Amino acid sequence: MADYYQEMGWRELEDGEQPNHLLHMARFLIDCGLYEDNFTGEWPRLPPPAAKEAVNNLKEITIEDEFDKNCPICLKKFHMNDKAKEMPCQHLFHEKCIIPWLNQTNSCPFCRYELPTDDEGYEAFKKEKKRAEQRKEDLENLHNSMFS
Amino acid sequence: MANIAAKRIKREFKEVMKSEEVAGGDIKLELVNDCWTELQGEIAGPPDTPYEGGTFLLEIKVPETYPFNPPKIRFMTKIWHPNVSSATGAICLDILKDQWAAALTLRTVLLSIQALLSAAEPNDPQDAVVAKQYRENPQLFNMTARHWTNIYAGGPTSVWEFNQKVQRLLDMGIDEHQARVALSTYDWELERATEQLFC
Repeated sequence: MADYYQEMGWRELEDGEQPNHLLHMARFLIDCGLYEDNFTGEWPRLPPPAAKEAVNNLKEITIEDEFDKNCPICLKKFHMNDKAKEMPCQHLFHEKCIIPWLNQTNSCPFCRYELPTDDEGYEAFKKEKKRAEQRKEDLENLHNSMFS
Repeated sequence: MANIAAKRIKREFKEVMKSEEVAGGDIKLELVNDCWTELQGEIAGPPDTPYEGGTFLLEIKVPETYPFNPPKIRFMTKIWHPNVSSATGAICLDILKDQWAAALTLRTVLLSIQALLSAAEPNDPQDAVVAKQYRENPQLFNMTARHWTNIYAGGPTSVWEFNQKVQRLLDMGIDEHQARVALSTYDWELERATEQLFC
């Protein structure tokens, strides 16, 4: 059961916490087959900030040799002994450049690799989108196995 | 203007000037004021499109929060395209809105706008009238876009029939641009355009 909750992105309510009725309503409508289009489309605005924890856990790297690479945000060259933050996609940025960006949205400014967020609604959206893609792929496989 | 924005624009400006797209005449970038907050872009209409041979000017406003927020860009040259407002020049392009990323630069944005001219997105229109014509009457759309490119962007293809119709409305005392908009909107049917202008 715990796995099922985890898969659906659900958790128990804290003491005194009220359920998020809008989120329930949205799930209900999706389950009824309404708003299906939303999951083939995009999140309608800039995705939310990266999770605090993910930002704090970014690897810090000291630049050890002069190489011809710019920070993609300020476009200045990295110099020897500069401190840089490395995203999981291995792109490097100055700390003072990448932090304001991640406080605004959750993706790598260079390749759009997504960090997790603290936004429940957005995480649910991402999960549902992934499942919609999986369903589509399964259906395609089934179709191909039957007709080829 | 915030320091980081001005510094970055200066760097970008240098980068653009050295780029092969500038050398090849695809894009151009000019400063409008001394504090680096306003620039003027220029893109060449891509080959094999109705915009071929035209030169399109763009107004670029750099916000104080750049590059954390996208630059504000609109067409100053009038253009007939599903994703550009034929009235205001406003552009519907995802990277200028929710798909902006701080590593995008004025150079990549100008190239994206140029690419938009080659591949319109009629399902995400800025100008509903143009998008409708694009979907339902692609041939007429092409001619109209070519005509606008000829008149406003210095394109080479003059469409004699369209010029005649605009002239007819001019003879009735209608403003030239207004006449062109009405005719373009009503698929170049003179009667319907006239009706709309005089009602």
